[in-house]
Amino acid sequence: MRARLGLLPALVGAFLLVAASVHAEPLAPHQPYVQGSLGLRASKVADAGYDPFSDSDELLQVSVGLGGTLFRHHSWSLAAVGFWDYGQKSSSARGSLTSLDVHRLSVGPELRYHLLPRLYFFAHALPAFAHSSASLDDGVLQVARYARHWSYGLDGAAGAAFEVYGATSGAIRPRVWAIAEGGYGYLGSTPLEMSPDPGQGPQRPSSVDLGTLSLAGPYLRVSAAVGF
Amino acid sequence: MANGQNGLAPAYGLTAAVAVLDSELGRVTMLSSPSALTLESHSIELGTDLAATRVSADRKTLFALSRGVQPQRTPHDERPQLLLIDGQSTLQATRSYTLTEPMNQLVLDPKNEWAVVYGSAGVVVNLNELVLVDLAQTGSEALSFKTLLSFGGSPKRFTFTAPLAVPGGAPRRFLIVERDSDLVLIDLSRPDRDAVTVPLPSTDRGEAASSAQVVYDADTASIAVRVTGTTSVFMLQLAAPAQDGQAYSVVTNLVDVGGLPTAIDFVHNTQGLRLVALVGSSAVLVDPDTATTQSVQMPAAFTGIRRITDELNPAAMPAADGDVALLYGPNITKIAYFNLSGAPGALFRSIEPYEIGVSVKNVIDVPGEAYFDHKILETPNQQFYVLDLHTRESAPMKTNGALTLEVAPDGARVWAYNPGQSGFASVDFAKLHPVSLIAERQVSNVFDIEASSGQRTAIALHLAPGTNVGIGATVLDALSPSTANARFYSGLELGGLK
Repeated sequence: MRARLGLLPALVGAFLLVAASVHAEPLAPHQPYVQGSLGLRASKVADAGYDPFSDSDELLQVSVGLGGTLFRHHSWSLAAVGFWDYGQKSSSARGSLTSLDVHRLSVGPELRYHLLPRLYFFAHALPAFAHSSASLDDGVLQVARYARHWSYGLDGAAGAAFEVYGATSGAIRPRVWAIAEGGYGYLGSTPLEMSPDPGQGPQRPSSVDLGTLSLAGPYLRVSAAVGF
Repeated sequence: MANGQNGLAPAYGLTAAVAVLDSELGRVTMLSSPSALTLESHSIELGTDLAATRVSADRKTLFALSRGVQPQRTPHDERPQLLLIDGQSTLQATRSYTLTEPMNQLVLDPKNEWAVVYGSAGVVVNLNELVLVDLAQTGSEALSFKTLLSFGGSPKRFTFTAPLAVPGGAPRRFLIVERDSDLVLIDLSRPDRDAVTVPLPSTDRGEAASSAQVVYDADTASIAVRVTGTTSVFMLQLAAPAQDGQAYSVVTNLVDVGGLPTAIDFVHNTQGLRLVALVGSSAVLVDPDTATTQSVQMPAAFTGIRRITDELNPAAMPAADGDVALLYGPNITKIAYFNLSGAPGALFRSIEPYEIGVSVKNVIDVPGEAYFDHKILETPNQQFYVLDLHTRESAPMKTNGALTLEVAPDGARVWAYNPGQSGFASVDFAKLHPVSLIAERQVSNVFDIEASSGQRTAIALHLAPGTNVGIGATVLDALSPSTANARFYSGLELGGLK
């Protein structure tokens, strides 16, 4: 145990030495002016309203991001970022096919700290807007029922980005980043009163109430980004 | 009479709800109407492994017999049970009776005082064990286990009698169990007492016979049995005890009616009680006391008889005035009124035939007080007749497909539909005006229930065919049915509805 305790200061010292030597490399080219990303967002949705549309609690979405640095100060920078996430799930409820399409748009500030020129940590709190379209193929009605709603919330997350490709210095050139973040995405509940589209199915159909749907839950996003 | 055939119907009509079985989830979905054109649904858990369901004669209660968890592995495993669901007011499970063994068959007393479960499903099965459930009691006190002494055979049909005026005791109800070659009489006032088994006579060829029909007269405690393969009617008289230890005795007699009877019933004429047996083109009247017979020629070979005295005059005293009976048959295009109130010598003109152009396979009663004097004559083909017994006028109704009739529990109208088709119709007894309706989906059943607001609501069910469990309904105002303002409900199997 005493040997291990003695090893820890040595490792910290070596890390600081490396960091100091890397800081000798100019930081600015590694702080992306503009950055576009493509990745996956995996959310865990525990709400019971999600059950008719999925056999599990996971919601996987394609995630497209865009960001631009607004302000730099030494290792710190402030960027404006936005994401569009899209996912679709389908299942069946009592033999009727169900599906759920979710679009999520989040835009807001992101604070970054470059520990190394090629490594920065970030945190963001992004107001989010989601549009969900739930459908139910009603075997008796013989047309689909829908519940389409907007909901609002906030995505709060922290993560890290590592530059996997790019010149060590020089002018602004494309740089490729691997980014991972984790956080919690809050969205308000929306009603699941399923009704056929106007003009579809029998006259004066009633709605089917499947309760409410909240897509809030923790999430993880991994993406690859190209920055300039 | 009730038979104990197995089976589960997809839906049952109750007075204030429609019960739709959801066997996949072991529950029943209760559809009720809080107000005109509205529908509510909720589900009630049924027991595990549902065996039989029945609706009481007054349509107020749904009975569900379940086998429970079999085999039992833990003390907490669900036991076999008989569950009662109130279909009139609370629309909830109101009572259950826990059984010791899983049973398959359920028979209900038309007066809603008793239920019989039988047909166990164990490794060793006693075919003649009955469980009598006294519906006036709760818990295990309500159950009486009865093993019928057997000369071979098992229960086939059950008849719950009205209180029979057995000499030497208070009038009491009996359960008559028809088996392959005998009858069993169970005194329902003392079900713990030994049952009385009465062997049936053999056929005229000396072969084993079985009962085809049982009728009784409550005032004289007389029972008559139409037996297959014999020209004789088997008469039983419940009499005062003949020896110590007996609650009553049974005196039997065989009366030859001159041919194979197709139907029997007890009637009263001016001379007293008579058994009428329809034999070919003759109606044979049998005096139960003397076994003497009197025959009257019928205008056709009617094979069905239905007493209609009470419908013609509910306050009549049948014993003094004589009964009136309706004669009909599935191969005769006539009906006839058999009036037994005339003098014995005028019997030859006691039968008045009416040509209606179609044969009658069944006579359906109309409940309630408004149109109790109406009968619905169901024909073997695509027609039915609404018969006014007072005016003796019949209104033929022709349909364009196979026919299922559903008489509204309030007795004010009848619904006709053809399962699997989208068309259905209502016939109001007041005006005999048919209203044809075309639903937007195929109709599997039509029910007429009372809404919470007191209005009448018609529910045309749309059940998804095959393995799909979809439940939908078109809801109409039953008193003024129109698809122009009907509402369509579906997704009821999902539990949520608005």
